[in-house]
Amino acid sequence: MKSFINIYLIDYAVNSLLRYKAKNIFIAVIFSFLIFLLSSVFFITTSIKHELNTTVESLPQIIVQNVKAGRVYDIDISSVDNILSINGVDDAQPRVWGYYYFEQLGVNFSLVGIDEYEIQYKKSLQNIAQMYNIYNKHSMIVGSGVLKAIKKAYYKNYFNFIREDGTIKKMIISGIFESETNLESNDMIVMSKDNFRDIFHMPSSKATDIVVKVSNSDEIDTIAAKIKLMYPNFNIITNESLKVSYQKMFNYKGGIFLALFIVSLFTFFIIIYDKVSGVSSEEKREIGILKAIGWRVKDVMAEKFYESFILSFISYTLGVGLALFFVYILQAPLLRDVFIGYSELKPAFELPFVFDFETLSIVFLISVPVYVGATIIPSWRVATLEADEVIR
Amino acid sequence: MILIASFLIFFVLVEIVYLNISKSMSEDMLNKKVSFVKLTGLPDLAFFSDINYVRHRSLSDLYSIYSDDSSLRERTTSTFSIANKGMN
Repeated sequence: MKSFINIYLIDYAVNSLLRYKAKNIFIAVIFSFLIFLLSSVFFITTSIKHELNTTVESLPQIIVQNVKAGRVYDIDISSVDNILSINGVDDAQPRVWGYYYFEQLGVNFSLVGIDEYEIQYKKSLQNIAQMYNIYNKHSMIVGSGVLKAIKKAYYKNYFNFIREDGTIKKMIISGIFESETNLESNDMIVMSKDNFRDIFHMPSSKATDIVVKVSNSDEIDTIAAKIKLMYPNFNIITNESLKVSYQKMFNYKGGIFLALFIVSLFTFFIIIYDKVSGVSSEEKREIGILKAIGWRVKDVMAEKFYESFILSFISYTLGVGLALFFVYILQAPLLRDVFIGYSELKPAFELPFVFDFETLSIVFLISVPVYVGATIIPSWRVATLEADEVIR
Repeated sequence: MILIASFLIFFVLVEIVYLNISKSMSEDMLNKKVSFVKLTGLPDLAFFSDINYVRHRSLSDLYSIYSDDSSLRERTTSTFSIANKGMN
């Protein structure tokens, strides 16, 4: 069987690359840097999507919010009974949660009220948090970011919440969420519903929203439509719409972010194309001599292919390798600020590593073949000319 | 040159294997995350904690972007990369 790979041509291509060392090193550095940036953004978004998608199934099937004049208001608990009367609804629970603005550091804590003495909550709490003092009535469990933030304000094992009327509510820290849940729990404070209502002066007839459990998951959309019919002003968020929302998360603005990189990548290719289309007289002479000593157009093309492929593949591997190191080991310094902002309450950027063949293929396809094409086409134009014409 | 390319491929492969072992999501980690999300029932990640409508963007609507100030749209770098649900 005839071999398709000509070792001598590869050898010639490698020597040719070494002959124009300075120029090729410059191209490789720029190319690797662009691939590194592009892969870093792709790796970050893939990992965030993976993180979100692993927990989306455990979110409530339907969330009902009360919207009035375009703003979300507290919902009447009396509507729970009406929702429960809909056929197919298994359970409807009012929830209380919200944000507490800690002015000293200018950060928002996410506060969630739960029925702390119910057995299932106790079990799950012990599974996800290091507990110290679960029996104290005025206690709370905090995320590690919250703990760091309140320590900055010289609190140790408690925190004083300021109520609407200016009085203080002291809450003891009875547990810290484990570091494995940091991406979800960093800014969270979980406490009993009574304490939550006390801090925000929320009457027991009101709740933040209602979560609805449906026995047959195929009926979620129908039940959501029935609730909407019952309360036209309510905003109904289904688990399916949360999934769609996660999918869309980076599509609009992340797309713009990515577009900037694609623009810079194409600028690079235009520069390369422009540079190579005016093939230097030395290179033209080289092609001419190769043709004069018997090389066919096919051989010249193959040699140029090997040359550009070796250079772009080395740049691709280097760029991807550096991006993996930058994102997952160094935790993407500078670039992470684009995603998490400059808040005092940012979690460690410890993203789960996902080997996504699709991402690697996309980066490969928008880099290597384009560079190979941008190098081969101008060389082909020279190679198709008569040898004497080129040398002259 | 071929040696450099081989070394780089080897380096990336070793890196992928290392990251897969040490940085990917373990079963225990996944269970804890799922338990936490079940407990709170709230979506989204704690990355984007600077502004409410970005923190729980899946539960915010188009108008919550104007909750702080009617003229506000972009406030921090994260609002440039993460869209408000209503803006998708």
